[in-house]
Amino acid sequence: MLTIYIDFKSPASYLALEPTLAMARETGVAIDWLPFSVRALSVPEEQENESVGDRHRRVRAAAQRDIHLHYAAVQGLDMHFAKTPAGSDAALAALAVMDGDPDPFLRAAFAAYWTDQADLADEGVVAALLQSVGIDQPDWKSAHAKTASIRDHAEQSGIFEAPSYRIADQLFLGREHLPWIKSLIAAELGQ
Amino acid sequence: MKALESDAPLIVYVDIKSPYAFAAIRPTLAMEKSLGMRFDWRPLTLDIPSYLGSARKKEGKVVESTRSTSQWSWVKYAYRDARRYAERQGLMLKGTEKIWDSSIPNIAILWVMQTDRDRLGDYFEAVYPPFWRRELDIEDITVVEACLEKAGIDSSGFAEFAQGEGRRQHDKLQPQLHPSGIYGVPTYVIDGTILFGREHLPYVRWHLQGREGPAPDMAYEIDDIEAASC
Repeated sequence: MLTIYIDFKSPASYLALEPTLAMARETGVAIDWLPFSVRALSVPEEQENESVGDRHRRVRAAAQRDIHLHYAAVQGLDMHFAKTPAGSDAALAALAVMDGDPDPFLRAAFAAYWTDQADLADEGVVAALLQSVGIDQPDWKSAHAKTASIRDHAEQSGIFEAPSYRIADQLFLGREHLPWIKSLIAAELGQ
Repeated sequence: MKALESDAPLIVYVDIKSPYAFAAIRPTLAMEKSLGMRFDWRPLTLDIPSYLGSARKKEGKVVESTRSTSQWSWVKYAYRDARRYAERQGLMLKGTEKIWDSSIPNIAILWVMQTDRDRLGDYFEAVYPPFWRRELDIEDITVVEACLEKAGIDSSGFAEFAQGEGRRQHDKLQPQLHPSGIYGVPTYVIDGTILFGREHLPYVRWHLQGREGPAPDMAYEIDDIEAASC
């Protein structure tokens, strides 16, 4: 079992989705997708009298955005960064209590966020997305409570960003680790 | 020297005190060798306290720190991550006990590039692994000179270079980096595209080999290339 913590507003989580699903198909590993809200990537405006640290953070954020766009193009994905990022709490809550195959919802929610800038903090928006993939909307109160519980547990185990992969007592941050993760899966499954 | 311009097919920015650069050196040198190319290696001396806070350790314990919880999470993960990949290459990576001024061994990169280019890989082997085993005081110029000599590079004149022309070249380059969009190491600059991290090596190789077939996604490769010493 491979556990992956994601957030729909995390561009790295979006770009990790299809490569991770492809690896799962190839290896046969089961994935437990769990919600973990992270801060949305935003690029600060250049300020007068900017400190070295402020400039570093601005340059780094802009470079990270550009890299995400670069690999979105490589993957053939449509990706747009909103000037004011929308939230994702309702979609994460829906994921927290989801039974059955989450893949159609993951694809629909990520695409809605990154293509149409859908507000996934809006339960009505998420309910419509769930309906589009044939899933009933959850009891939102208990779904949000479950999300909070998952987060507490995740933080205690050292999770602090998304996408985070946990397998064989190792934590990997980002899809760039998929070759190693795949080798661990193969060892676990005796392949 | 302009930050994004070079006659070489690829510019590579590194810093001796970066664990991520350490983990990237051998794979990048191996790629350079396998492609039969000469990359333009350059120093980027990170100003770590300005963006990650500062900390000083003594006997394994933090005795001074201005880092937030979030910054500590990143720093701890970064070291753990670089360490496990270094170990795959047969290398030891011990966390540093302070934030070093790496400008002297970084200026030595310029020295090697300008005086004995073919031995750059030998210089990296002479300085990176022992530094990350905590065996080198890289702020001591005689230690850096010894690394050069160990790599078979003539160090006579290096001290003068490090305090004069080399220091000027280094100090002139550093302020260009942020305005050019470069902020960390290893950074690869390929036809004006800036890629931070060795996870981009599959894309860099694809580009340098003529962009045939679909472009690869980012990945930390774990094949035999990483294990090979250069």
